[in-house]
Amino acid sequence: MRNELLSELGCYLVEGSLSDARVLAKTGQEPPLPILPKANVIKVGGQSFIDRGRAAVFPLIEEIVENLGRHDMIIGTGGGSRARHAYSVGLDLGLPTGVLSVLGTYVSMQNARMMNYLLAQYGIPFIEPVQFAQLPLYLAERGAVIFFGMPPYTFWHENPDVGRIPPHRTDTGAYLVSEVFGAKSMIFVKDEEGLYTADPKKDRHAQFIKTISVAELKVLDLQDVVVERPVLDMMVNAKNRRSIRVINGLKKGNLTRALNGEDVGTLIYAD
Amino acid sequence: MAELVESADKRHHLASMLMRESLLDKEVQRSTDMPVFRMLPDTHVIKIGGRSILDKGRSATFPVVEALATCLATHKLIIGTGGGVRSRHVFSIGIDLGMPTGVLAELAEADALGNAHILGTLLAPYGVVAIPPHIFGHLLPLFIRTAPGVIFTAVPPYALWEHPPAVGRIPPHGSDAGAFLLAECFGSMDLTLVKDVDGLYDQDPKHHPTANFIPQISATEIRKRELETLPFERILLDLLDHARLLKQFQIINGRKPERIRRALAGEHVGTLVYAD
Repeated sequence: MRNELLSELGCYLVEGSLSDARVLAKTGQEPPLPILPKANVIKVGGQSFIDRGRAAVFPLIEEIVENLGRHDMIIGTGGGSRARHAYSVGLDLGLPTGVLSVLGTYVSMQNARMMNYLLAQYGIPFIEPVQFAQLPLYLAERGAVIFFGMPPYTFWHENPDVGRIPPHRTDTGAYLVSEVFGAKSMIFVKDEEGLYTADPKKDRHAQFIKTISVAELKVLDLQDVVVERPVLDMMVNAKNRRSIRVINGLKKGNLTRALNGEDVGTLIYAD
Repeated sequence: MAELVESADKRHHLASMLMRESLLDKEVQRSTDMPVFRMLPDTHVIKIGGRSILDKGRSATFPVVEALATCLATHKLIIGTGGGVRSRHVFSIGIDLGMPTGVLAELAEADALGNAHILGTLLAPYGVVAIPPHIFGHLLPLFIRTAPGVIFTAVPPYALWEHPPAVGRIPPHGSDAGAFLLAECFGSMDLTLVKDVDGLYDQDPKHHPTANFIPQISATEIRKRELETLPFERILLDLLDHARLLKQFQIINGRKPERIRRALAGEHVGTLVYAD
């Protein structure tokens, strides 16, 4: 007898197998609702930005303040040098990826706290994952929130393909926030103009790439890329946020231009 | 030996093996492949199915509880629960309301948590209770040395940060994945998934009475056979590919509860799925 309380999809899900591609296909027929379509997610690099100290961070804080009231900003922080130190020690001791993920979380949390205090006089809060239910309120009231970029996987972090370093770090965590909320943009603030064919800090001949698709980027198979590779894979599966922008935050005005939707830095998109 | 390094690139580095390195560089990533420390090598992770066992009520659950209780005397058990049919229901309502994958993952945790407390109530006489998820990982080593076993919410804490799946909108990391990742991180001896079928068949045995049982199989072989349904989450195949410590898991039938004890003793009583 058909259960009157269940929709057709409900019947499939309750009775079917979630490993069945036909059942899964039925769950993707309608697009998800954008939850915060006016918000911008900004990720501020750890090693590339915050580790430079006041010379880099103060001008960016000024620019964030200038944009309060004009653009809603959900600001995530990277880890950086201390995360690399903790990973190095942890790797030497044989600690598993899940524990390294916990260590990385603490470092990006330190950076989030410092950003939070620099923006405290404007009433901008720092929220941990458990406080994300309050994010819409803070955004509506104050126009910005700070969070730590690490996704909260902790001991449940997946192993990487190669090596032992947690593959889903602060780029991925920030990107997933933009995807789940259906945000207007995902902007990575780093210390390079965007994506290059090689690490421009190590290779003088590295070529700047203005716009590129994920598929083209995969073909290039670069030794080094400017954002965590899982972000690229996730963009292909994404329902909402299918492009990201990488900008040089050391240049005053770049963040504002990116928030205004101007073509600054590198745009990476899923076809 | 820790020291601060002022480098020409105007960044303040802390001296370490990974100093100045891009963690995205493939060579750097390869250099980090080292042996992993096992935190809890004498423990067993065992996941009790939601839809397959707990949702069926007393007839299926009580014999499983009894079997687990018997094993507690000789084995350290880390017992996980999934959300079962209530998660399926909230997925269907959530999708209808336009909720994205991350929100569905957040909702699913609540059902697994409810089931953890159901099982925790039944195992309370043996000193085994459900531990709240936010302290579980950090305090697991303490709990497992002070109680014969613990119960956890096997849906992992991915919540809003769940990965968007390739097809549809169902969160790919369910309770099977959470149990696997926990066993891998803590270096548990083995992982057993307790379901209501004997293991893997070449077709769904509930719909095809002539389906053939597969006693053991590799992740690659499962992919090659393109089986329409599996009695476990498909993402386990990817997790097996990248596993460092947990190279196989066993699916067993909880409707034949004596198999729980035998599986924990290392016997092959269901389907073994192993990494290549």
